Amino acid sequence: MRILIVEDDLEAAEAMARGLTEAGHECVRGADGREGLAAAQGGAFDVMVVDRMMPKMDGIQLVETLRREGDRTPVLFLSALGEVGDRVDGLQAGADDYLVKPYAFPELIARIEALARRRDTGSVHTLLKVGELEMDLIARAVHRAGKALDLQPREFQLLEFMMRHAGQSVTRTMLLEKVWHYHFDPQTNVIDVHISRLRSKIDKGFDRAMLQTVRGAGYRLDA
Amino acid sequence: MKMPRLFRTTPFRLTVLILALFASAASAFLAYIYIATAGEATRRTDRDIRREMTSLIGVYDRAGPDAVNQALIERASSEKPFLYLLLTKDGRRISGSIEQSPVENFTGQPAWASFQVTDINAQGRAVKHPARGLQERLKGGEVLFVGADAGEDEAYLASIVGALQAAGFLVLALGLGVGVLVSRNVSRSMVSLIDVVERVRNGETGVRAHVRGARDEFDELAQGVNDMLDRLERSMAGHRHAGDAIAHDLRSPLTRLRARLEAAYIDVEAGKGNAEEALAQALEDTDGVLKTFGAVLSIARLQAAGQAPNPVVFDPAELAADISELYEPFCEDKDLEYAAEITAGLTVRGNREFLAQALANLLDNAVKYTPAGGAIMLRVRRRSSGEVEFSVTDTGPGVPDEDRERVIQRFVRLENSRNEAGAGLGLSLVAAVAEAHGGRLELSEGPGKVGEMGPGLRVAFILPRA
Repeated sequence: MRILIVEDDLEAAEAMARGLTEAGHECVRGADGREGLAAAQGGAFDVMVVDRMMPKMDGIQLVETLRREGDRTPVLFLSALGEVGDRVDGLQAGADDYLVKPYAFPELIARIEALARRRDTGSVHTLLKVGELEMDLIARAVHRAGKALDLQPREFQLLEFMMRHAGQSVTRTMLLEKVWHYHFDPQTNVIDVHISRLRSKIDKGFDRAMLQTVRGAGYRLDA
Repeated sequence: MKMPRLFRTTPFRLTVLILALFASAASAFLAYIYIATAGEATRRTDRDIRREMTSLIGVYDRAGPDAVNQALIERASSEKPFLYLLLTKDGRRISGSIEQSPVENFTGQPAWASFQVTDINAQGRAVKHPARGLQERLKGGEVLFVGADAGEDEAYLASIVGALQAAGFLVLALGLGVGVLVSRNVSRSMVSLIDVVERVRNGETGVRAHVRGARDEFDELAQGVNDMLDRLERSMAGHRHAGDAIAHDLRSPLTRLRARLEAAYIDVEAGKGNAEEALAQALEDTDGVLKTFGAVLSIARLQAAGQAPNPVVFDPAELAADISELYEPFCEDKDLEYAAEITAGLTVRGNREFLAQALANLLDNAVKYTPAGGAIMLRVRRRSSGEVEFSVTDTGPGVPDEDRERVIQRFVRLENSRNEAGAGLGLSLVAAVAEAHGGRLELSEGPGKVGEMGPGLRVAFILPRA
């Protein structure tokens, strides 16, 4: 993936670029809002990571300008401001996701990959298929290798999200945000229980587990 | 010299201004009356004098100087006599009621003169009157002067002017008096307000203006000032408290983190420890510090703002059901019986995200402190007061009565829970969320002691009627 990093903290940008490059992505950096905007207008990127507070032009202005120009490249906002209102402002400006600093690297990479994926699946699918697993979004039915699985509504949503991001790590925070629509971290890991229930339904009785735990990051659904 | 405060007040200045305007108007009025009246009196006297002169000249023309002399003598004894003087061609007095002509440098042309006559009044005293007269040369060369006493007109005029002046002074004095009274009254109200402002400026943020209960604009102003000061003080206290709390809440975990890193460093350097493990541990500790920091920041921002951001009106049942759905499997997993009793159709006004977080924190705490085999209950109901109450009851060890206030404070964890994980900020954040919504937190005993269980804790999160 080609990723544009617009971040005025050079050390943070350096660390991010190194990590993303190691993960096999190509990174371009902009050291302030204006530089970032010029780079964004110049090259085709799969995802842009934009710091919210920067000299010359802040992240909000940058994203608003791009969106006005019709650029729909997914944008992940990075910000030290984590309050509800700040998040809403960022998303309203046209960002696709919002990550509060400081973040764990696995969280960053999971979100970047999720954004890129979302772009691929722009068209409306009524049938999701990951390996042996099939989900019919209209009939709200799930089968693994032809065997019907009985899922609770929330388990269904959870699995749908995992299937749309199959092969990628998704973090607990992402699940809480995208499946439950809450933006805070519960002090105890309530998400794990939901995952383990889902896992018992889709993996029990099969010799291969599809729903994997990724150490230090979260979970991944493998085909 | 500094003017006394009273004279510098706005009401007093207004009074003086109004009185000055009044005085000018009154003076103009007086002047007009004077000119009109006095002019009219003088004109009437002059007309009378001229008529008398014409009449005497007529006598002279018909019958000569002796007839005039005779006429003068007759007329001098009338009811209201004119003053006469008849002189020869060369200026010698022939006859008349005055000794000497008041006209100086007589050229022969008719000439007017104003002068004084001396009269003897009833008490035998000499009194001077103002008088006017006309002097003309007769055809034979004699000179005739006819005058009249102007005293009566002028006295009348003087009494009018006097009365008007007296009335004017009275009005001025009254106005000034009322002005002083009003000013003093207004000034007293203002001075107490100014005094409050002055004292607050000097750092006495606790003083408040006196509200007299008169329900006038001063009371309104005083109340407004008080409300503003209350708010400012709360906000300032919030900020001060936030600073202290951040220092306090973060110092211990940071100190712990540093100690652990140092120990790991020494171990690794000595070739004993496992660097990877130490780093993983440090990372985990750092996440803990960040979580604490996030909570402290949220509390501080809520307290400083004094209200929840982006409030909406919604049914708390949905929220409670959502959170229940999130926590129920978790409780079951921990072998805790979970029950929810949710009244539908209520409304609350607030920030969904913060309220959800508050409920989650309450459930987190309950799960953390309730041993396996226990029970947790979430309840949403309407109190008879109309308030909406969310409550979480557990069958854990509970909190002793005397510690209940304290656990809401930041970073307080009771002795017996020291080894449990968690930042200890959960309840403080919940309390801050409640406060920001105009609500409160109430801690009480749970269902009581049953075997090994209990007595439990019941935390009620109470929101005002939407």
